[in-house]
Amino acid sequence: MKSPLTFQDMILDLSRFWASQGCVLALSYDLEVGAGTMCPETFLRVLGPKPWRVAYPQPSRRPADGRYGENPNRLLKHTQMQVVLKPPPETIQDIYLQSLAELGIELGDHDIRFEEDNWEAPTLGAWGIGWQVMLDGLEISQFTYFQQCGGIDLDPISVEITYGLERIAAFLQNVNDVFEVKWNNKLTYSDLRRDEERELSIYDFEEASVEACRQVFDIWEREARRLLDSFPTGVYTWSGHEDPMKDPVLNASIQSLPAIQRRFPLRKVYELCLKCSHLFNVLDARGAISVTERVSLITRIRSLACDVASIYVLRGDQTLQEARA
Amino acid sequence: MSGPNTKPLLVEIGCEEIPARFLTNAQKHFGEKLKASLSQNRLLPDHSEVNTYSTPRRLVAHLPVVLTHQGDLEETVQGPSLKAAYDIEGRPTRAAESFAAKNGQTVADLSRVQTPKGEYVALIRRTAGHAAEDLLGEILSGVIRSLEFPKSMVWPNKNGMRFVRPIRWILVLFGADQESVAASFPIISGLAKEFSGTGIAIGYETRGHRSLGLPDPIAVENFEDYSKKLRENFVEFDPSSRLAKVKNEIQALLDKNELKLVRDWELEEWIVNSTEWPRAILGGFDRRFLALPREILITVMRGHQHYFAVEDHAGNLAPHFITMLNMDGDPKGLIRHGHERVLMARFSDAEFFWQTDQKTPLHDRLPMLERVTYQKDLGTYGDKVRRMKAIAAELCNTLEGQGRITSQEAGYALRAVELSKCDLTTQMVQEFPELQGVVGGLYAAGQGEPQAVADAIYDHYRPAGLEGDLPRSLVGAVVSLADKIDSVVSGFAAGHEPTGSSDPFGLRRAGNGIVRLIVRFRLRLDLRSLVDFAYPLTGQILSRVMRTSISLFLRDRISHYMELVEGLPRTTANAALDVGARSVGLQRLLTVGPQHPPIDVLDLVARARALQEMLGTEDLQAVCVSAKRIWNILARPGGTAGNWTFDRSKLTPGPEEDLYLMFLEVNKRVEELQASSDYRSSLQAIATLRPAVDMFFEKVFVMADDPTVRSNRLLLLDQLDKLFCSIADLSQIGSATSTFVDASTSKVPSEKD
Repeated sequence: MKSPLTFQDMILDLSRFWASQGCVLALSYDLEVGAGTMCPETFLRVLGPKPWRVAYPQPSRRPADGRYGENPNRLLKHTQMQVVLKPPPETIQDIYLQSLAELGIELGDHDIRFEEDNWEAPTLGAWGIGWQVMLDGLEISQFTYFQQCGGIDLDPISVEITYGLERIAAFLQNVNDVFEVKWNNKLTYSDLRRDEERELSIYDFEEASVEACRQVFDIWEREARRLLDSFPTGVYTWSGHEDPMKDPVLNASIQSLPAIQRRFPLRKVYELCLKCSHLFNVLDARGAISVTERVSLITRIRSLACDVASIYVLRGDQTLQEARA
Repeated sequence: MSGPNTKPLLVEIGCEEIPARFLTNAQKHFGEKLKASLSQNRLLPDHSEVNTYSTPRRLVAHLPVVLTHQGDLEETVQGPSLKAAYDIEGRPTRAAESFAAKNGQTVADLSRVQTPKGEYVALIRRTAGHAAEDLLGEILSGVIRSLEFPKSMVWPNKNGMRFVRPIRWILVLFGADQESVAASFPIISGLAKEFSGTGIAIGYETRGHRSLGLPDPIAVENFEDYSKKLRENFVEFDPSSRLAKVKNEIQALLDKNELKLVRDWELEEWIVNSTEWPRAILGGFDRRFLALPREILITVMRGHQHYFAVEDHAGNLAPHFITMLNMDGDPKGLIRHGHERVLMARFSDAEFFWQTDQKTPLHDRLPMLERVTYQKDLGTYGDKVRRMKAIAAELCNTLEGQGRITSQEAGYALRAVELSKCDLTTQMVQEFPELQGVVGGLYAAGQGEPQAVADAIYDHYRPAGLEGDLPRSLVGAVVSLADKIDSVVSGFAAGHEPTGSSDPFGLRRAGNGIVRLIVRFRLRLDLRSLVDFAYPLTGQILSRVMRTSISLFLRDRISHYMELVEGLPRTTANAALDVGARSVGLQRLLTVGPQHPPIDVLDLVARARALQEMLGTEDLQAVCVSAKRIWNILARPGGTAGNWTFDRSKLTPGPEEDLYLMFLEVNKRVEELQASSDYRSSLQAIATLRPAVDMFFEKVFVMADDPTVRSNRLLLLDQLDKLFCSIADLSQIGSATSTFVDASTSKVPSEKD
């Protein structure tokens, strides 16, 4: 019998598999995110009409799930394999099942089920309809037909497949403790990650200054809001020609608007929004957020995310347009 | 049987996994809508069968008898009136000509029809029927698009299809022989046109089980062929066969291993609706987990993993579980091994919570409640528990006064209230929120609290509304009532009054629970004064408007209970609820006014039950009609007697005086009977007034010209009105045509106490 895949082999195999399905292999995002969905390669690219296929591994942080590296099943930072296909091919469920076979899961020997699970991310104004995929009673993936993102109805829709890599690895390697997972043939998950789990848990649960987190949240939010307020929407100059259609100054300002809009640092605003989202999670793990405050903080983050999405759609997906030109 | 002019129709909607909780309804609606649409299109003979089936991946309809051709349609079309259609000399007018022309006929074809509005010209319009093949595409697409789900999605784009999950194929077969495939082509191409751009494959091919069946689409020729090929490909498409299979498989495992099942109907249904080929396997877990409470083990197995729990023959939980596969067995034991791994991880978590939670007894968790928010504007759970304690003390006071509970029981109730919410701070409840209360009860018992206290904590979320178990003891009922009264009253204080179908804080459910607890435990309580007591605990002043809102809300809950649990018609419920309205000068009770009468649920229910029983008699029915008539006279302008006082010497001998004498007698009797709350006999007495009242209305004109006579008569009616409202407001029954209970309208099985 073939020996089970190591953690890094899984990432390689899944990457190769989805690349063969036409996905671009993106890099893991370099900011703290709670899920692969929050990376711009998903959040922004599912918006608008342009087809898009991407796959990337994404370390995802959920401070409240931290257990100091002592719980065999729970992690503060786990690794998602994130796959987005827009629009989804009709055989997408079969393709997904093939990817499991690729990992060495014999489909005829296991019970794989698609159980209703609808995904929602209130901080992103995003939701979708789909399933959690169960492998012999173990949840191994989220499979979602994305319907709305940043408060905008998606057109066309995307499919988002998220693999929980640690769980699948423990399953494949038949170990009961995620820290015993072989990362490669020499090192274990514990060797690479246990200290980090412990230290991040200590900070997020005990050390994080609530005061500092709140202040930084406010600062980043203000910065994002300042930029959003500066986004040029259509304040045109007009020299006073009686027929506005013939006014040269007005026409020039209308024509120059897209160029000015293109200079808008949209992705930075989105990064600021993600920073706020992570600070929110830290505050939550510290138990510092009351029910009332929770609602208002989520609303503040969502409002940034929705504004980012609106501007993205308004400007159109330039990078792809330019790449094609 | 399918005759020469009929053919069987088979339709399968192939879909990605439909959520189990929607499937039963989806199958039902598919059948109903198909039937309605085919009948409307004159393609379905009356009483033809519509058989439906479903699996998570398909909705199936098989109709053995569908007409191959619509019958021709003959309709009479009405044109202009006779006057407009012909001039004085009887020649057809332009109007008549254009009417005929519009229908492709001539004036010579015109006939005449008689209508309530006069005589009109008319034409017989004949529409030739179409072949079913030409219509079915559109009909089926209409039916499929009209299926609704509680939660659905769109694909491939915003204005594309809407369904519960993407439809991937549609199979249509019209006919039962080899030619049926060819005969289905027009339907298939019709459907293909209707669903173009959605990616749905349309044809006469089905699909087998995802991993056990043939990988490619499977062509079928007729329903028998379809059934055979699907079963060969590991799809049992008939849910009732799957249910039978589930039961047989489970029974075989139980017999073999000498175990008993912890029965769970909901789980059975979920399994039937989430598998195409169910097979049962028995898994096991480490005995050491049996040290955990049964409730926790079952919740983990059932709620999170959809496993059945099993017991040994002594009724103790066994270290095993049964899970249903959507596979044809597990020869290598890999699936069982996988499930056992997952369950062990979950049980280990639960064990860890159980041990760490116990290190901090419930009592020591009280200060932590000050940091757990109950609801926006309603403070913490610490605040809620203080309010509950005050309400519970008030309840205990009343019940002790009535000799219903002892002072020791009252002490238990207050202690249980104090500890009731402490389990919210435990990891166990944070992980398994559905176990709140239960966990608190288990911890309390383990921490040396009296069993009565532990049980009351355990039970205090019961009942979940109009259904579900009740607390096992009166102490538990008091704790539950205190919790629910506070939830309702403080919910109103925070502006969470339910509106329309929106009730995000579950106040209606809490209200239903209050009513049910009171009736089932036969508690003599006045909800009005409890509201007056509880509301200020929120720190707000109870305004008259707010008090009215809460009273109306409670009134609705009681009425809802009477209808759904007692199976009483709404008119009867309302008549009882409005008892005594006249005494505060109103037709409807509880709407306004400082002198709300008490809200004694038991008493109101007793009145409604008595009224419903007595409405079976013709005499009371007739009195109700008169009561309605009297109220109508009194309520209209001029219906009051002004400053007149009743003078019996002014009564006219005959029916008027007879009625009054009869009234005096009955009124006296009703007063006596009412003192002992004998509502049935009271109504019986009231019913005896029927002949006198009927005679009065037959012979006496109330609104006489002489103001003295008129006023005196109005005052007589006024006294009758008060009597007719003394047990229940009979005038409300008078207008209702049907007051007899139809047992089938009662949605909740009626409970007898």
